Amino acid sequence: MNEPVLEVQNVSKRFDMTQALDDVSLKLFPGQIHALVGENGAGKSTLIKILTGVQQADQGGLLLSGNLTKIENAQKAQTYGIAAIYQEPMVFPDLDVAENIFISHKDRGFFVRWDQMYSEAKIILENLGVNIDVRATSSGLTLAAQQSVEIAKAISLNVKVLIMDEPTASLSNHEVNQLFRVARNLKEKNVAILFISHRLDEVFEIADTLTVLRDGQHISTNPLSKVTKESLIKEMVGREVNEFYSTRKGKKLGKSVLSVKKLSKELIFDGIEFELNQGEILGFAGLVGSRRTDVGLALFGINPVDSGTIEIDKKPVIIDSPQQAQKLGVAYLSEDRRQLGLAMPMAITTNITLPSLKKYLGKLGIINRSEEKKSASEFKNRLQIKTPSLLHEVGKLSGGNQQKVMLSKWLNTHPKIFILDEPTRGIDVGTKVEVHTIIKKLADEGMAIIFISSDLPEVIAMSDRILVMREGRQMGIVESNNFTQETIMSLAMGENIGDS
Amino acid sequence: MKILKHLKSWEGFLAIILLVVVIVNSLLSESFLSIENQINLFVLSIEKVIIALIMAKIIINAEIDLSVASMMGLSACALGWFVESGMSMTMALIASITIGAVGGAFNGFWITVVKLPSLVVTLAMLIGFRGLARVLIGDRSIKMFPQWFEDLGQQPFFWNIPFSVMIFIVLLICVVITLEYTGFGRHIYTIGINQNVALYSGINVARVKMLLFIFSGIISAIAGILYAARLGTVRGDMGLGFELDIITIVLLGGVSIFGGSGSIYGVILSILIVLYLRNGMSLSNITGHLQTGVIGVLLILSVLIPNVLENMKKYLKFKT
Amino acid sequence: MRNILKDLRPEKIRNWVLLLLIFIVLLGFASVIDNYLNARLFNRISTSVAIFAILAVGQTLVVLTRNIDLSVGSIVGISAYIVGQQLSQHNEMTPMTAVLLAIVIGALLGAFNGYFVAYLKIPAIIVTLGTLALFRTILVEYSDAQTVLAVELPQWIHDLPRMNVFSYERFHLRYVVAGMLIVVISFQLILRYTSFGRKLYAIGSNPEAAKLTGFANQKIIFIAFILCGALAGLAGFIFLVRIGQVTVVAGIGFELKSVAAVVVGGVNIFGGSGSVLGAFMGAVLIDLIENSLIRWLEISEFWRDALLGILILVSVATDTVIMKKLRTFWLKKQIQTKIDIQ
Repeated sequence: MNEPVLEVQNVSKRFDMTQALDDVSLKLFPGQIHALVGENGAGKSTLIKILTGVQQADQGGLLLSGNLTKIENAQKAQTYGIAAIYQEPMVFPDLDVAENIFISHKDRGFFVRWDQMYSEAKIILENLGVNIDVRATSSGLTLAAQQSVEIAKAISLNVKVLIMDEPTASLSNHEVNQLFRVARNLKEKNVAILFISHRLDEVFEIADTLTVLRDGQHISTNPLSKVTKESLIKEMVGREVNEFYSTRKGKKLGKSVLSVKKLSKELIFDGIEFELNQGEILGFAGLVGSRRTDVGLALFGINPVDSGTIEIDKKPVIIDSPQQAQKLGVAYLSEDRRQLGLAMPMAITTNITLPSLKKYLGKLGIINRSEEKKSASEFKNRLQIKTPSLLHEVGKLSGGNQQKVMLSKWLNTHPKIFILDEPTRGIDVGTKVEVHTIIKKLADEGMAIIFISSDLPEVIAMSDRILVMREGRQMGIVESNNFTQETIMSLAMGENIGDS
Repeated sequence: MKILKHLKSWEGFLAIILLVVVIVNSLLSESFLSIENQINLFVLSIEKVIIALIMAKIIINAEIDLSVASMMGLSACALGWFVESGMSMTMALIASITIGAVGGAFNGFWITVVKLPSLVVTLAMLIGFRGLARVLIGDRSIKMFPQWFEDLGQQPFFWNIPFSVMIFIVLLICVVITLEYTGFGRHIYTIGINQNVALYSGINVARVKMLLFIFSGIISAIAGILYAARLGTVRGDMGLGFELDIITIVLLGGVSIFGGSGSIYGVILSILIVLYLRNGMSLSNITGHLQTGVIGVLLILSVLIPNVLENMKKYLKFKT
Repeated sequence: MRNILKDLRPEKIRNWVLLLLIFIVLLGFASVIDNYLNARLFNRISTSVAIFAILAVGQTLVVLTRNIDLSVGSIVGISAYIVGQQLSQHNEMTPMTAVLLAIVIGALLGAFNGYFVAYLKIPAIIVTLGTLALFRTILVEYSDAQTVLAVELPQWIHDLPRMNVFSYERFHLRYVVAGMLIVVISFQLILRYTSFGRKLYAIGSNPEAAKLTGFANQKIIFIAFILCGALAGLAGFIFLVRIGQVTVVAGIGFELKSVAAVVVGGVNIFGGSGSVLGAFMGAVLIDLIENSLIRWLEISEFWRDALLGILILVSVATDTVIMKKLRTFWLKKQIQTKIDIQ
């Protein structure tokens, strides 16, 4: 057994009220792919920040090749051979690939030798098995290609420990395979890889060892042979999963409220076709990168379709702006709360009334504040939003409560068709259940719902039917009698079993 | 509508400064607080002050309009040119204001449709509008206005208050109401905080921006007309450099250059501070150029101080 | 053919387009103005171009880092004035000393700007809008609104515009032009071949990544402002040489032209891309148009500002639109090749 190249010893870290890491220990060996799994908030990103020098542990230490070392900042981490790549690649978009690879090198001298840089970059990329033009401007590359450039950068710096944080989240299937090829290539070069992912199938494909974190604590570390998906999930969640979700079977549906045919948007998605009925929850399943959000954005008028037909209540419509969509009774709950969903510095009340402001305008367009307060109050009670005051800044609320404010915001527009994009992302388990109950109740009351989620058990539990997408194409619509994770997963990964 | 809590303290801070300036000025001159002097102060800078009102809305919207002073000059010169060509005064007035609207729409087009940054577009039009003004009247100056027009600009209109100040008051009320109390105002703030959130919340961002720039053009045109009335003459270089004072007033009033925060009340306080400061400096025999320098320093300070305060707050939080 | 297209970075294409535009403008004016194209034109405008080319180079450095310097006009004024004043009081000062003095004054003023932007983190537009006023005020107070008259300056100042480094038949290489070319070429080389230059691009392209990579963002931005100020100071010296006297309004409006040159020259106003060469050609194009319009008797010279405004808009708009088209084009190509491989 060889020496661990990096060892985490009894590391703890606290932020204000939260104990992000609690006495966590972990060993990374050269030439091994070590997977780190856990729910949101389990402590994975804090651990990464400590390993890359961005944060410092409160207690415990890091051993590099057996020696206790302090990693004070990102540059130190780099000198020790620790590098990280993330879901969103951090490249310099205006610089070309070769320059991106070598830009962090400190010892290349004052003068830049372009020819040398191009040829060296070419060699590194070839060794990685990646086909990218070293002279291309980085902004023109796909996300996957940019990630490869980041990996090439790490290699050029003689990386010893490569941390991959959710690297596959935005990749297509083909790109994931390519990434795994690169990872195995690195394995042969004795690089230690720490692989963090939510996608258990990928973890099982690529990892040698698996560690589970939960609520900041180390739960287990096992070689792949000793682990099953069920055992993993149980350790991640801390309880049996099944009791969480009760499926929707045998719900009576109303008439068709939305009908789309041959929806297509160049380079984004193609051939989307489905019917949505009153009271129905249509789940949209697929791996991240399948472009489900884009379909939602198209139906909400933010990035309208190029071709295809949309009928609402059997009447053909053109949705070319969010205002138009709202008029037609469509609402869209964004997957990105912070950047797209809520105005963080503004009050809860203000956020809730934002899309439906017209309702509260009196003469001269003046806002009726007491009406506003009344509405916000109603939602606070209905959805159980926990806050000392409705004038509170939304940015200060917990994730779960923020999600509830977002829901209120759109419910206030009384939509006929409600598109929910990852509605339970990044919120605690308790609120998740609350949100699920609310959504099901809405459907029972007649609202037509499109439920986009990357959490397969959740989609299965919530939907009446499931539309599966892969890389912008519709792979099929699965009826509830066919709901198994395997069926849906195989569709999502490319095995077409046709419409049910 | 108070969005950030610290805004309250910025306005308090401004109130204190205002108090200090008022006291110093009163000591410098007994007639400082007299109504005549107050009115006079406003009249002397009324054009800048009027434009500051709309500039505040634009900056809160996370945009900027550097072309306001040039539009002011352009509309004033256009007015003179129209009158000179024989147009009736009323028609000329309407035409000048229309030019303001068209110029604003022109800016708005490049910003909302072509999606160019407002800094570049309005910088280009700062040059462009000024150029058009000079195309119209070259190096000359025009003085051919009817007497009633000049009287309107120079004589008291209602009670003791000149017409231009009345326009200012009317505009002030409009801006306060729209910005702080209407849906449109809330849209402006939201777009300033995060344009994407506004878009995804169903706000017609392009329309709001276009309207703002058109208003800016119209109000700049009105300011230009008032300026022409006050001076009785128009020249190609009228209003040169006004944008500096206008932006200073707005930023000093607590409006963040990044958009999304600030209130019109702070801008009112800052208008008073800047006007009184200039008055006080004149009373102390400080020349016009030096005054401009002081205003420049004030501009930097108006951003420096909140920055420093924020950093101090963070530092203190970190220590506890 | 595909290989050639791949290697053509958008920057290079744009520079060629600019060159083409300059030729078109020259030909255009030649067709409507008598005796336009001769050596005298070149000599007449060369000092004017030199001023704005050097200002454009300095502005490029700052804009690349996602900042802007609106005070360069006032720096030109102060430097021109102080150097002029010193020369009039000390006629024996050598040219070298005068140039050095101009550069140092500019550098100091640039450092003032740089300090507030880089270390106190105040947005550049605000700082330099403030110093635009502040510096001009200092100039007016310092000079007491006096003009430095032509007669007070040593003769070599007046001769400099015509003095040549060398001559070949009717073609003369003026000192002023040589100086400008040295500045443009050196900074083009610095930006392309030194790590300092590349860091400017990196900081403008992605400031957070730059910081995480370990770049001293603040120091580099500070230096960029110092260099910009120094070059503005140099431009001030050339201003003195060109006009032969200095008043307190020297340099007013120059900042706008320098930003216009940079923008027309293809430097992204948000930083991260563009070249000194492009900014240089932008300056040449703009100055060429301005100076030529004066000689086109049918059109009033007052059109030049209006045209300048339109020119800026059109060039930035074309850049934006073309960039977007290019990006979609390359993305489509990549997806196409992926599908081919599969």
